[in-house]
Amino acid sequence: MGPLFKNRDKQDCKDAIVVKDVSKCFRIPREKKRTVYENVLGIIKGNFGYEEFWALRDVDFTVKRGETFGVIGPNGSGKSTLLKILARVLYPENGSVAINGRLAPFLELGVGFQPELTAHDNVYLYGSILGLMRKELNGKYEEIFEFAELKRFENVKLRNFSSGMYVRLAFSTAIQADPDILLLDEILAVGDEHFQKKCTDKIEEFRRSGKTIVFVSHDLDAVKKLCRKTLLLNGGEVVALGETGEIVEEYLGLVGNTKNDRGVKGTAKIKKLAYT
Amino acid sequence: MYLWDYRELIGNLVVSDLKIKYADSMLGFAWSLLNPLMMMVILYLVFSNVYKSTQENFVIYLLIGILSWRFFSLVTTSSLEAIVAKESLVKKIYIPREILTLSMVISGLISSFLEFLVLIPLLVVLGVGIYPAILLFPVVQLLFFLIIYGLSLILSSLYVYFRDLNQIWGVAIQLGFFLCPIVYPLSLVPAQYQAYYLLNPVTRIMVMYRDIFLSGTVPGLSDFLVVLAFVAFFLIVGNLVFSRLARRFAEEV
Repeated sequence: MGPLFKNRDKQDCKDAIVVKDVSKCFRIPREKKRTVYENVLGIIKGNFGYEEFWALRDVDFTVKRGETFGVIGPNGSGKSTLLKILARVLYPENGSVAINGRLAPFLELGVGFQPELTAHDNVYLYGSILGLMRKELNGKYEEIFEFAELKRFENVKLRNFSSGMYVRLAFSTAIQADPDILLLDEILAVGDEHFQKKCTDKIEEFRRSGKTIVFVSHDLDAVKKLCRKTLLLNGGEVVALGETGEIVEEYLGLVGNTKNDRGVKGTAKIKKLAYT
Repeated sequence: MYLWDYRELIGNLVVSDLKIKYADSMLGFAWSLLNPLMMMVILYLVFSNVYKSTQENFVIYLLIGILSWRFFSLVTTSSLEAIVAKESLVKKIYIPREILTLSMVISGLISSFLEFLVLIPLLVVLGVGIYPAILLFPVVQLLFFLIIYGLSLILSSLYVYFRDLNQIWGVAIQLGFFLCPIVYPLSLVPAQYQAYYLLNPVTRIMVMYRDIFLSGTVPGLSDFLVVLAFVAFFLIVGNLVFSRLARRFAEEV
């Protein structure tokens, strides 16, 4: 447990997330060296350098409890890196992150699913990865399969599942983690029209019940609809932070000025759900 | 110990690992018992003429060596992949990463326990008998487990950065097989080298296993203290190396 992460389970604390001066640097080796052999060779040749790429620089912000907080910015501005640092997947070079409450990162669904195990076993495995205790899961077991509409398939091995069934099971389990803070990378495009509606409703329900949501997206309409406060990132630095309406205007201005052939505005990337 | 909060996750990872390892079939498990027995027979045929006279109950002597060596070599070898093989659990979500290594070593511990069970009937059949000292088996096994866990922390985290470590470790394991008293008696080692020879923690543990199973004696307190020192060393160094290297796992995996 890194000393930089203070997980103070204090429900009365006003701030859900406090990010202070966080910077993240990726090392990009000039030559990819992945073996002892290559490293020894590199030292002999006098070539052991890597280039630094600062994905985030001195990012500083606070998310209040119960707030739905948007993060926008062009591609490569550091949004996903920021989200991964909040999720503790990446370790910041400096700065500190304080998370108050139980965190559920919806960066990807179905992390740790084992195709060789049955749906039943996978729910317990995945649940424990998300921090759910067996006792809690027992109580929610029926609800999970009901929400996923997969009751008939509970004893089927996961490798026989279609991709839609797979994500439905994952999402249904993930929402049972009962988090205080939700990290969302794009609105999850899960399953068919009917199931997507259920997902959006569930997220909306989370929002209304006073949970904190950090929402990273290219979909400006969704950000406007969901978030009161928004953070604008560009080139790894905070450009602006404030009321969503103003920030979106600023973002459009920024994109307009630096209009490049990447077509920043048009590339609302659809979050691909990986099957690992 | 904060890992206690993750006991259910560790349990689930161990169970799913064992389920996949034994592929839901009894044959998978039977095979893992047959393997050391066949190795015992082969080594007995090869070495019995050489050492039979110097070592009593050479068959059992061999089997204890093989079983303990299997625990060490199989677990350390598979732990190299512990982090890399669970890429998605490293890159997509946060859990304390040492859980991945720990659950792999625990699954190896359970396999080893089951393998040692074949020893019990053989002890009776071959006339060695069962001594009360056998009750110390879980203690010795636990100490061995902790040493292996510490070493596995180092190996699994280094492997993320150095992907040819499995080749290097494979050679080290082959060498180690002959550096431990598995196929020859300890007395074969010249007296002036004994002190150095006993610096190998695996040898120490092997001697303890043979004490409790074969000669029915309780290992001395000094032996336990030496092994405990090894345990402390491997756990401390293992955790230091691992926590330092774990910071960039998500980028390097």
